[in-house]
Amino acid sequence: VIPTHWFLILSGILFSIGVCGVLTRKNGITIFMSIELMVNAVNLTFLAYARQFHQLHGLIFVFFVMAIAAAEAAVGLAIFLSLYHHRHTIDVDEANLMHW
Amino acid sequence: MIEFVIFFFFAAVAVIFALVVILHRNPVVGALSLVASLFALAVMYVLLDAPFLAALQVIVYAGAIMVLFLFVIMLLNLSHMHEEPTRPIQQFLGFTSTAGFAIALVYYLSKYAVFKILPPGRFMSDAKFIGASLFESYIFPFEMVSILLLAAIVGALLLSGRSAAQRAKLGVEANS
Repeated sequence: VIPTHWFLILSGILFSIGVCGVLTRKNGITIFMSIELMVNAVNLTFLAYARQFHQLHGLIFVFFVMAIAAAEAAVGLAIFLSLYHHRHTIDVDEANLMHW
Repeated sequence: MIEFVIFFFFAAVAVIFALVVILHRNPVVGALSLVASLFALAVMYVLLDAPFLAALQVIVYAGAIMVLFLFVIMLLNLSHMHEEPTRPIQQFLGFTSTAGFAIALVYYLSKYAVFKILPPGRFMSDAKFIGASLFESYIFPFEMVSILLLAAIVGALLLSGRSAAQRAKLGVEANS
């Protein structure tokens, strides 16, 4: 059986890759995909601890995180569509006004 | 033994495709790599005795969320758009700070969060147990999530639709 901390280390690496994507990219959609990577890394941590302690709570949390990630993706992509209609770009450096 | 081979193979797949997501300039390639990375994570969920959530991961993420991403990318025709690279100082700071963060994270995880033994017995986590738990002790959060999803649908429609003023403007432009 694979030890729990290997999953934790994999999750840490994936989370760091997501952080790197958010910090170094300008394309709004790519930043969004990096956030999805981070969300999934945290899900992996929840499941690793759920198996370690034989608790169902971790699995339920992963279920809720997935639902909220879906809601977040819908609203975020709608914001980018709206931004594109106004600015004809989704470069996040261009989105520097709260109201336009 | 075969479990370890599967773990390392799919861990490598997940990490490599995650790197492709953040390094590739074309967002379509990025979205498809993200699908591959999420599939590899679904295999991890199976290894963690959570086959129900692995199925959910494939259906919800690879099926629904990624289709949404690809749809928006195609709708905005982003694959032809040139993305300006970030400033060198920003690149340098971003990569070095995340490298430091990753090294610290892995170091402390492998130092303090090492679990030598798992509890005996198989972890029972199929749909029956999750459903029972969801509709007994977690019924209130479950209903809250349904309201949240409804709010997200309304918000997405409101944000992505054109306002009356814009539609009037577009109509004027089309007529003139």
